Amino acid sequence: MKTSKLALFSKTKTMEGLIDDFLDQVSNGGMKFEQGIATYIDSGAEGHCKDLVLQLRRIEGEGNRLRRTIEVQLHTEMLIPDLRGDVLSLMEDLNHLLGLAEDIFLAVTVECPAVEEPYQADFKLMTSHAVKTLEAAVLGARAFFRNLSAVHDHLNKVGFHEEEVDQIATRLKRAIFASDLGLADKMHLRYFVDKIDSLADEAEDVGDWLAIYSIKRSM
Amino acid sequence: MEITLLIFLSSGLFLGWSLGANDASNVFGTAVASRMIKFTTAAIICSVFVVLGAVISGAGAAHGLGKLGQLNALGGAFMAALSAALTVYAMTRASLPVSTTQAVVGAIIGWNWFSGSITDTAALTKILATWVACPLLGALFGAVIYKTMTYVIDRTRVHVLSLDSYTRLGLILAGAFGSYSLGANNIGNVMGVFVPSSPFTEVSIGGWVTLTSVQQLFFFGALAICVGVFTYSKRVMMTVGSGVVPLNPVGAWVVVISHSIVLFLFSSLTLEHFLASKGLPTIPLIPVSSSQAVIGAVIGIGLLKGGKAIRWRALGSIASGWVTTPIVASLICFVMLFVLQNVFNQVVYHKVYYELSEPAIAYLREGGMPPAGLASVAGERIEGGVAFRDRLRAQTELPRALEDKVIETARLFPMRITQEGVAQVDAAYIAPAQLEAVKALIGKTFHYRWQLQEALAALEPEWKLLPNTKVNKSLNKHLKEQLEYICSVFHVEQADPEAPPMSIRR
Repeated sequence: MKTSKLALFSKTKTMEGLIDDFLDQVSNGGMKFEQGIATYIDSGAEGHCKDLVLQLRRIEGEGNRLRRTIEVQLHTEMLIPDLRGDVLSLMEDLNHLLGLAEDIFLAVTVECPAVEEPYQADFKLMTSHAVKTLEAAVLGARAFFRNLSAVHDHLNKVGFHEEEVDQIATRLKRAIFASDLGLADKMHLRYFVDKIDSLADEAEDVGDWLAIYSIKRSM
Repeated sequence: MEITLLIFLSSGLFLGWSLGANDASNVFGTAVASRMIKFTTAAIICSVFVVLGAVISGAGAAHGLGKLGQLNALGGAFMAALSAALTVYAMTRASLPVSTTQAVVGAIIGWNWFSGSITDTAALTKILATWVACPLLGALFGAVIYKTMTYVIDRTRVHVLSLDSYTRLGLILAGAFGSYSLGANNIGNVMGVFVPSSPFTEVSIGGWVTLTSVQQLFFFGALAICVGVFTYSKRVMMTVGSGVVPLNPVGAWVVVISHSIVLFLFSSLTLEHFLASKGLPTIPLIPVSSSQAVIGAVIGIGLLKGGKAIRWRALGSIASGWVTTPIVASLICFVMLFVLQNVFNQVVYHKVYYELSEPAIAYLREGGMPPAGLASVAGERIEGGVAFRDRLRAQTELPRALEDKVIETARLFPMRITQEGVAQVDAAYIAPAQLEAVKALIGKTFHYRWQLQEALAALEPEWKLLPNTKVNKSLNKHLKEQLEYICSVFHVEQADPEAPPMSIRR
């Protein structure tokens, strides 16, 4: 009996596992991104930072593979016909966040912006909040699958952390442009502030769509 | 096979096709429209279980002959089936879910009208009652079950994909069960009247499965239903599943379950018998239509969500279809019976005579009927139920129930118990003791059904109707069906209307 039950629902359980794995990859990518930025600020682009780039790239590759598998299986097995479109969009958007985090970190290690001591704490704090925005979006996505009523709480946190990132970004940019740095350095730092800010903005967009998907699911 | 029988059979097959095209939407409409089950998958499951239901459990309908069995000539039954089928086909073309049973009842009313037979007013009242009661009950159950399901899903925190699997499985199981019931309950209407003239002989498959001639006949009727499902049911499915309110998969399942519960609770004699035998209050039995229960459940869910998504125009078309169906079926039947009788010279009904003979009056008097007023009608043989009723009303004013009793008692139904007839009796349907009582009457003739009933009851207690209580209701219903079956087996041609009044002595 147990075997037949398992066989009957095995595909479903496999798919649930794939989705959980994918969300784990996005969450891991965010944490690796935060660790990478902190490592770069503390000890530069060489050494451990290069390992972190490789690790983040591997996570991003795995995320891509999982997303494709999920997309193909959702279509071929004709699962969740009413939510399939929304779930696929959600997967795409979360995968995009993972890709964005990898792109930003890679750009940091390639372009090596000079983050002077007065800005280092804010850079780390802003990165931490941006990653929290991403993680809250991932938690919201997990809740969308299992516990719809909890989605709202996570989306509230997405909004909170994104607001924090905006404030820190403004503060950082004011401090950078009020400093004695050369214009090229100022522009270079501003570029990375905006890039990290964009990660939080994109995560907030995912949260906004998630709110709509949740309303549709609850109807 | 006679060519006439083949032609008559074609209208049954057409009715089967219409039934498949329309009624499959009740069991799989919401599943297909919510894209949980592909149309082809739904059609295959539906077809397999319709055939199984018709062949395995439809045999019971062979004794009741379905609703069309009330018609006493094959030509009339042919035309009634054709009228009902045409009406359902027209409604199906308009993508409207209608009740096939109501179309059949409508056609029978047309036949009654044409043949001068009395229409059972209870049948009309039942149709009117279902238009209101069924959607209301469906809506109530739909809303309550949907609310409960959303609460349970919220609390259990089941994954979207698991929920999807469970819902899909639930839809398939409910659809398969619904299809089985569809085949078992409706094959009587499709093929029932052709049972006595079935051209098939018993066959054995591999020595371990035997198909009787009735089962083979029902198999072909079921195939006609399957063809209807495959060729034409998708449009009605989409109307049911998404035309009124767009449904999510859980909503689709709730609709199917709600309609099954409404059908079971409000039409199950077994449940009523069970509750009554345990001394519990019974649920009043009301006539139910699955199409109307399904649409009711869809509306119930729509109202629960605020009612904004309900397409009232589509709902209006469906409701008008319900009202139109029996009316159109009866009109078509009346006109076509006229054509069949007067242009093609076919017998569309056998004349039925009524006579209040001495024994009939004595029988009524024994039952507590006041004799006043009946004497003036006594001894006179009158053709047609309506004519007899009019004569009776002209002479005396009786309460409706008593009037029905007098009409039923006066209806002549000549029967002769013969050795050949006894050999034809289905021993699986009639208990051995009951059959012995029938055998004891070989050689005797009866002019009224109640005479045979009394004779059998005097010989064997198992033929005796039990006191009219809720507990005995289902048993008495079964006994009456058995009596009806025995009467039909031993029925002989109607007595000559010109013959002198009968002097039957009891």
